Amino acid sequence: MRYEILSFHRENRVMVIQLHGNGTCYGEPVQIANELNELCNTIYPDPEIQVVIINLEQTGWQNKLTLSQTILNTDPARDNPMSWAEPVSKLEIPVIMSINGYALGQALELALACDMRVASHASFFGLPHINDDIIPWDGGTQRLSRLIGKSNAMEMLFTGQTINGEEALRMGLVNQLIEGKALLSKVMETAQKIAGKGPIALKYTKEAVNKGMDLTMDQALNLEADLYFLLHTSHDRTEGIKAFQEKRKARFSGE
Amino acid sequence: MSGFETLIYEKTDRIAYVTINRPKAMNAYNIQMRDDLYQILSAIKDDPDVYVVIFKGTGEKAFCAGADLSEFLTAPSPIAARKVRFERDVWGLFLSIPQPIIAALHGYVLGSGIEIALCCDIRIASRNTRFGLPEVGLGMIPAAGGTQTLPRTVGKSKALEMLLTDEWIDGEEAFRIGLVNHVVSDDTLYDHANEMARKIASHDPAAVRAAKQAVVRGMDVRLSEGLFLEKSLASHLSAIKNKQP
Repeated sequence: MRYEILSFHRENRVMVIQLHGNGTCYGEPVQIANELNELCNTIYPDPEIQVVIINLEQTGWQNKLTLSQTILNTDPARDNPMSWAEPVSKLEIPVIMSINGYALGQALELALACDMRVASHASFFGLPHINDDIIPWDGGTQRLSRLIGKSNAMEMLFTGQTINGEEALRMGLVNQLIEGKALLSKVMETAQKIAGKGPIALKYTKEAVNKGMDLTMDQALNLEADLYFLLHTSHDRTEGIKAFQEKRKARFSGE
Repeated sequence: MSGFETLIYEKTDRIAYVTINRPKAMNAYNIQMRDDLYQILSAIKDDPDVYVVIFKGTGEKAFCAGADLSEFLTAPSPIAARKVRFERDVWGLFLSIPQPIIAALHGYVLGSGIEIALCCDIRIASRNTRFGLPEVGLGMIPAAGGTQTLPRTVGKSKALEMLLTDEWIDGEEAFRIGLVNHVVSDDTLYDHANEMARKIASHDPAAVRAAKQAVVRGMDVRLSEGLFLEKSLASHLSAIKNKQP
């Protein structure tokens, strides 16, 4: 497949996916969906990739209204659009979204499907669908309310208003705010740090949290325990404890 | 009342104190502590004279710096380990205690330490506290409920950040993200915990237990069931009250 919109590269065990906006939008939404889907299909089975960064960057933007209108142009009934969030949410490894600029509409829904969000101070967030008499369809109403609480989510959904980075941090929509120039290198630092952990432990942690939040506490504790005991059989667990005791860096093999 | 190797158990004025007491090992959690904790929690659960519980740690360095890894290398088979885990389900027991539990936290609160704190209902921390979950760096995942209790307390995104990066946070940051209810100066930690415990202990214990049950169990079910539970607990309470002279 030829990638026309997404570009990507690897730094050690971290895959960076770039989604650049050209001033008004991030590109043809269906094309983005196809490319994300294809790329996630190649990332999923690749044992060399431990962490994914999606870098959402909006450079040279002039008019945020144009941007939101363009993104909203996909009418689910008419255009048979495709999900951006779904292929990303299916990845078993940690996914961090780095946001510099406008994350509106489907772009924010994509961000919500990631495990963590880190943004620059000059970032803006919103689900402006209501302005066009439609509702979000790529997970926005579900993931946003679970992340920032029903009340904050309702406010964003009903008003269609865009919030800034400070406000997003206060609500817990983003994990951290970082100065724009340092953003991607900071996110990469975090990603590299994560990539040094046990690969199975990372996947199981993500699974335990994501699935567990949908279960009753009792069932969720059982899930956690079962995953923990499964890890008992791994080489990495023995290596991790040994390395700690020998005060050296662990050499995880993913086995 | 004591006689435990790793914990000190005391009771004064309807307040029970559980003090983690392995200061030389930074209060690390070990198998002996699991057994001691199981006994103490069982006693608390059945003791109508205990209105509220405070958890704390001895020594200056740590509330509890995690699990004692020296016991980890001889890992039993997963089948045996799973059997043991649920035979004496200390974490299940912890989460089923009917009385409110306050954690007074200082120093290192890592791994099992933060998981103990998260089994409590209210957390108060001194500024010098350091919270973290180092498990994934050791090729493990938390196993005392941390992957479940943490996201239910601070939300999924912040929980995953702490779990995946193993970056430690201090008392102020813990307060900002809602991991602790209050952050206080180091020398007033126990005053704050005691004051809160006394306040809780001054209320009708049946009402206090009902309130805890309504919140803890209610958060685990659909809203309609939670509302039903609340109504049942309230009418049960007023039935008891009406019987009293």
